Amino acid sequence: MALESTMNLFVKKTGGEIASQLEACTRCGMCAEACPYYLATGKPEYTPIWKVEPLRKAYEQRFTIVGKIKLALGVEKPLTDADLKEWSKADFEACSVCGKCSAVCPMGIEISSLIATARAGITAAGFAPAGLVEKAETQQRTGSPNGAGEKEFADWYAALEAETGIKAPVDVKGADMLVVFTSLEIGSKKKNLYDLARILNAAGIKWTVSLKARDAFNMGSIIGNPKLQKELAGKILSTAKELGVKQLLVTECGHGFTTLRDAVPNVFGEELPFFVTHIAELLPNLIREGKIKVKEGYFANGHTYTFHDSCKIQRQGGIFDEPRYALKLLAGDTFKEMLPNREEALCCGGGGGMRSIPEANENRMAAFKLKLEQVERVGADVVVSTCDNCQLQLKDGFKHYNRPIEVKGLIEMVADSLVR
Amino acid sequence: MNWQEILEFSRGPMFYGALLFFLAGMAYRLFAVISLGWSKDLAKPRGSKGAGVVKSFLRGGIIFPFFPREKSAYANNPIVYIAGGLFHLSLFVVVVLGTAHMLVWKSLVGIGWPTLPLPIVDWMAAVGIIAMVALIVNRAVHPVMKLLTGPAEVMSWLFVFLPMLTGYMMTHHMFFPYEVLYSLHMISINVMLVWIPLSRISHFMFYFFSRTQHGVEWGKRNAMP
Ligand code: SF4
Ligand code: SF4
Repeated sequence: MALESTMNLFVKKTGGEIASQLEACTRCGMCAEACPYYLATGKPEYTPIWKVEPLRKAYEQRFTIVGKIKLALGVEKPLTDADLKEWSKADFEACSVCGKCSAVCPMGIEISSLIATARAGITAAGFAPAGLVEKAETQQRTGSPNGAGEKEFADWYAALEAETGIKAPVDVKGADMLVVFTSLEIGSKKKNLYDLARILNAAGIKWTVSLKARDAFNMGSIIGNPKLQKELAGKILSTAKELGVKQLLVTECGHGFTTLRDAVPNVFGEELPFFVTHIAELLPNLIREGKIKVKEGYFANGHTYTFHDSCKIQRQGGIFDEPRYALKLLAGDTFKEMLPNREEALCCGGGGGMRSIPEANENRMAAFKLKLEQVERVGADVVVSTCDNCQLQLKDGFKHYNRPIEVKGLIEMVADSLVR
Repeated sequence: MNWQEILEFSRGPMFYGALLFFLAGMAYRLFAVISLGWSKDLAKPRGSKGAGVVKSFLRGGIIFPFFPREKSAYANNPIVYIAGGLFHLSLFVVVVLGTAHMLVWKSLVGIGWPTLPLPIVDWMAAVGIIAMVALIVNRAVHPVMKLLTGPAEVMSWLFVFLPMLTGYMMTHHMFFPYEVLYSLHMISINVMLVWIPLSRISHFMFYFFSRTQHGVEWGKRNAMP
């Protein structure tokens, strides 16, 4: 029964994209060398393409003659529930869907998208990690994975006036820009709203927040539940349409951003009537276009800064140059690049829902160690990131390894250096 | 049947049969994948898909594997890229730029082209054979490669290696009479031709799909350097 839902999902998802990529793999093993979890642990079962095995087996046995022959001859066993249960460990506890493997594969296979499909199949069979299932249920119920609901957001929006004197524009029809957050910000970075409000006002943007579309976080994307993904993203899509905005700004959520920008149009079968952007792209552009002014070199103050490329915003979002433009302006020569960076950057180890899976803690910290080594190699004592999940992971990691390294978000840096 | 007859058979009816199976098999594989269809992408592009595809092939075909950009990834498993790259280069030199093979192509497709002098082709053939040995040893000892290597991978290796080995022995008249080596060369080629559509050696066809899709995806997001 469980297997049947998996098979149905795989069959539904299998088009030329998936089939041709599965067929192209030469089993060369190169992708393993890209994966932070393999590199950190040396476990061969963490090889990216090995994480795709459930999908490959299902595809070959269902769609190819050779697969059917192999099955009939007993050379390969049919996919079982036990397989899915076993693969849940590698696919969820040792993969952040960071996409670095896709950058390294000599055949150009989008391995991480294939893994995302495999994860969806595992979830359909009911073998997703309990921690993620719980978060998904909480988000379905309350709107946010940490249970922050309308009231928590309303209180946060209300606090803006007390903090800054700016009254939060809530569900304003005809605004140009709808801003959506992540509930992580309510938990640990309330200041993001206050900082952002000052920046957007300084830029003269007509913005609004909403009590209906609040959280860009999408547990449906993380866990691989297409129905939930659609339901959660649908709220944001319908609100943005209702308010008639021209831009949808995602503050710091990485996967929420790519879900809304790249997946939602295809999930709903329509081109979006608004432009989806992220602070990593918007803030530097506002500076470049002269819409806001920052004190140049404000952060060139004896610290060494480096930038952490987030998998969803940078590698999969393509926003590499903008944050670097802002950082060079703000931190001058004290900004140093880690290596490798940009599309080949190493994941911080905490993406893809890993932070919600207690069983994954060891892997998460092991992978972080590679990031730590990179940071220390450039001698940085401040790491800047445009993703709040990465920021939390970096903080966790520096604490775990007892390093006095600071983590900063781009929003606070721009707000702190803003010339009123 | 004596060796002369075996040779006639293996370079005659057997070869054409194998070739036909190869062509029909590959056509079927292609059709099976294409018939699954591609979905339309409605997301707004942030960069050029076309430029992404061009870069994807440049990176995939020229830069990989000889100039690895991502040193940290390659340093851990250099045999795959050095031996893998040399094997493909050798294959190209021998099968396309070797005079003997060019003449086979000419008889099949009707046109010929200039070829490289025999010593160069011969050296490249030796390089290819050594690379193949390195690749199979790597498959046997590297933990990741062991996991990814099943009977099918070993058979693929063997069915590619045998034509290379027999071809080399044949040019150097090693150990056996010429007709014997020539026959073995032809038989092994025929086996390989039949095996290709049944195996992952067919990646040379799907490579164009995966590289194109890679370029489209990364180009669209403006994430391709
Ligand atoms: S690097 Fe690409 S071709 Fe090689 S094993 Fe991984 S997915 Fe397959
Ligand atoms: S997406 Fe990232 S974490 Fe997942 S297998 Fe690929 S390289 Fe490893």
